[in-house]
Amino acid sequence: MKRYLLPWVLALALPSFPAFAQTKGPANTAIPRGPDGKPDLTGVWQGGSTQKGSWEEANRGVGVGGSGRDPSAPLTLSSNDRPAGREGAPYQPWAAQKVMEAFNRRGIDDPTSLCLPAGLPRTVMLGLFPQQIVQTPKQIVILYEYMNVFRVIPLNEKHPDDLLPSYLGNSVARWDGDALVVDVIGFNDKTWLAGTGTFHSDALHITERYTRVDKDQINYEVTMEDPNVFTKPWTLTSTLMLREGTRLEEYVCAENNIDPERYEKLLKDGVKFTR
Amino acid sequence: MARRITNVGAIAFILLSAVPLMAHHSFGAEYDANKPITLTGVITKIEWTNPHSHFYLDVTDDKGKVVNWKFEGYNPAVLMRIGWKKDVMLKPGDKITVFGWQARDGGNWAHSREITLADGKKLFFGPPAGTGDGGNQPAVEVRP
Repeated sequence: MKRYLLPWVLALALPSFPAFAQTKGPANTAIPRGPDGKPDLTGVWQGGSTQKGSWEEANRGVGVGGSGRDPSAPLTLSSNDRPAGREGAPYQPWAAQKVMEAFNRRGIDDPTSLCLPAGLPRTVMLGLFPQQIVQTPKQIVILYEYMNVFRVIPLNEKHPDDLLPSYLGNSVARWDGDALVVDVIGFNDKTWLAGTGTFHSDALHITERYTRVDKDQINYEVTMEDPNVFTKPWTLTSTLMLREGTRLEEYVCAENNIDPERYEKLLKDGVKFTR
Repeated sequence: MARRITNVGAIAFILLSAVPLMAHHSFGAEYDANKPITLTGVITKIEWTNPHSHFYLDVTDDKGKVVNWKFEGYNPAVLMRIGWKKDVMLKPGDKITVFGWQARDGGNWAHSREITLADGKKLFFGPPAGTGDGGNQPAVEVRP
């Protein structure tokens, strides 16, 4: 085990020495690379942001958790926001109507209000909580603080043929040049994709591309295919920004989740909250 | 201590605050972005819990009547990362001023945005109005 880890540890440590980086570095020495020459995505990252720096530096001022459409609000994307400036989701007419119903109910039906996992790509793209990528030559593990969920992503393997439907699906990855391409299937139909009400069926197929463009940034592109609800694939782009010095914390959502009870009371009392 | 409720001009307010989201749940179902409030009072209890933290504030009105308000905010890890120190910076007995938005049902509970501590230091305790309810723009195109 030690022998197996040593080259990896050296590869992580040595690029910090300029001489090594120059002899080793092919195209872009600013991209940390593993012993196999592939970009190393290891680190703690913040989704939905384009700000460089530590968590504190990148989120100072107005805080964290907004979308950037309000000049006084944070620039980071939050978890059920439609990414700013992106095209609308190509839902079939009946499905678009269902999305609008959820939007008009101000997200009261959000699965995460029951402390259920936020699913993909929502969990990757939100900015309020960090995520940690741990890369090894044979598999990549991603830990998400939000809802404390994880993905174990083998490289160059096929999906198992005995998948149980799940919130984050089953992921396998391969390298396409410098881009890590992750193929995800095996979803249940209990999550929202990206934006209030963006439901899907269990036929959802997601393809993600993680391209580390420099030390600080991973470009994230995600394509969602679901013939049961979409008229064509839906592609969104976002970024993950390196947050050195940030550590993941526990997020035990069920600890004190009073919102479902409040929702029930508001509905019972006839409080008007719809758009 | 006087209870102060600040109403901002509706249009200006909508322009400034009608925004998007947070994680866990909808702002708009429970709170009203058209009911901004600023209250000064004394902390009676704090819950540093997931998915949201809460604190309780004794607010005395002009007639001397004390009302206990409940405010919601970020969860502990998010608070820590934006500069809060648990049990150091916010304790029962502390006098603070909080800006936020009141619950839709008009009760004594609200969503907190910014806290001003006794020493004048200002820190966010929760996200902007609209967080979690989908913002202004649905995920699908809306055709009139």
